[in-house]
Amino acid sequence: MRPANIVFWSLVTLLGVWLQNLVPGVDFLAPGLILAMQEEKWTVPVWLAFIWLFIHEGTGSMPFGAGILWYGALAGLYFFGHWLFEARNFLFMFILGACLGAMHFFLINVMALLQDWSIPMERLLTESAQQALIFPIEWGLLYLIHHYLPENRHAA
Amino acid sequence: MHGQVSSFWSRYLYFVGIRQQNDQLLSDLEAAKKELSELRESASEVERLRQLLSMTPPADWTRQGARIISHRLGPNAALETFLIDKGSARGVSVNTPVVSPDGVVGRVLRISPTAATVLLITDPNSRIPVVSQKNRTQGIIKGEGPSKELTLLYVAQGAPIEEGEILVTSGLEEIFPKGLPVARVTSIGRSGSSLFQLIAAVPLFAPLQLEEVAMLFKATALTSATGAPATPVPVVSQPVTPLVTPPGGAVPLAKPVKGPKTPAAIPPAPGQGAPVPAPVIQAPAPQPVPAKPVEAPKKRDAAPADAEKKRRKPARTTGQ
Repeated sequence: MRPANIVFWSLVTLLGVWLQNLVPGVDFLAPGLILAMQEEKWTVPVWLAFIWLFIHEGTGSMPFGAGILWYGALAGLYFFGHWLFEARNFLFMFILGACLGAMHFFLINVMALLQDWSIPMERLLTESAQQALIFPIEWGLLYLIHHYLPENRHAA
Repeated sequence: MHGQVSSFWSRYLYFVGIRQQNDQLLSDLEAAKKELSELRESASEVERLRQLLSMTPPADWTRQGARIISHRLGPNAALETFLIDKGSARGVSVNTPVVSPDGVVGRVLRISPTAATVLLITDPNSRIPVVSQKNRTQGIIKGEGPSKELTLLYVAQGAPIEEGEILVTSGLEEIFPKGLPVARVTSIGRSGSSLFQLIAAVPLFAPLQLEEVAMLFKATALTSATGAPATPVPVVSQPVTPLVTPPGGAVPLAKPVKGPKTPAAIPPAPGQGAPVPAPVIQAPAPQPVPAKPVEAPKKRDAAPADAEKKRRKPARTTGQ
């Protein structure tokens, strides 16, 4: 991987963690994972998912496995969706964001049900809506920045 | 006249080196501002730590400070939790009480070797048995979510309780020591159909302003968990008073230490809380028996009967 890309993905990780601290309950690293699956070699998203899984499992309060389900479902949605849509289409990202928001609501509810926990529904709905809205916007920003990285074949 | 001329010369005409001096002073000012900012931060930290240290742990309990390293973070943060920088390597276990100088913060939900997740009392999954400080009315306090008041459950309609009264832990769940302040009653209502009062309370700490907390350990539990007394635990050498005493001057008795019923088997930690009485001394042996090397029990809650069975079992096996 080129040095510019290493710096880019390191900054994405740092900013994502910082933003997750500011807006709890929303995954700011998921758009980066989709972008890595679109733009990089397959090893890059695998490594990024591996590192980010540890961050999510360590900082979250759900039992181990919720993060794996989260990113596994995201990757599955992407692979299923890019057969039907153009992978870099903003509409596809919008649909993916909506699916991710719904998945956040469903996954947290299922995990809470299995643990016999109660979760405040209003907050969960708000987080799901935030996730659905933030995902395509953040993906668009990251996509633009990534394309203007030095030594990128798409860079102007 | 000469002085005025000299002053006029040096003030308004002779500017050699003024620019360099100005740059030097600006640089010094920047350094001083930075140092002042750091010192203010240190002073704030010292004040917070002093408040934390001023909290006297109940008898037979010791405390250990911890720093909050993260609040709710990420998509999996479904509960009201935060992360502290002490884990199982420092003797932290699940359900370890976490307190602040203002009152109970929560308990440890899960642990790793170097960090632990603390479940706040404001989470809907947190329920703590409490008793009102003045009227001694019992109930269970339950969280209702972030930035919402707590609810006191199962207080009968006729039970006396007042607005503004402090609720303290009753110690019935055997997680928190008795007498720690938890919340303050803000409103008392009555519902026609319910057998219980509708009571709301506010926690005594501000969740987002917490930076350091203290964990409470039973003295024996910490010693047996780590194998040695933890270094940062402050020594309680002076007479320990409970945090909250009920009105009327009656001092609640400290709960007996849970865990192994054979305190003589546990080597007392030097300077750790009150010395544990050894029942062996009270019952003098008729004949001197050669002292056997005593080992600390591996399980904290292992009953003596179980230990006796384990000791006997190999004897039967060898006899068969």
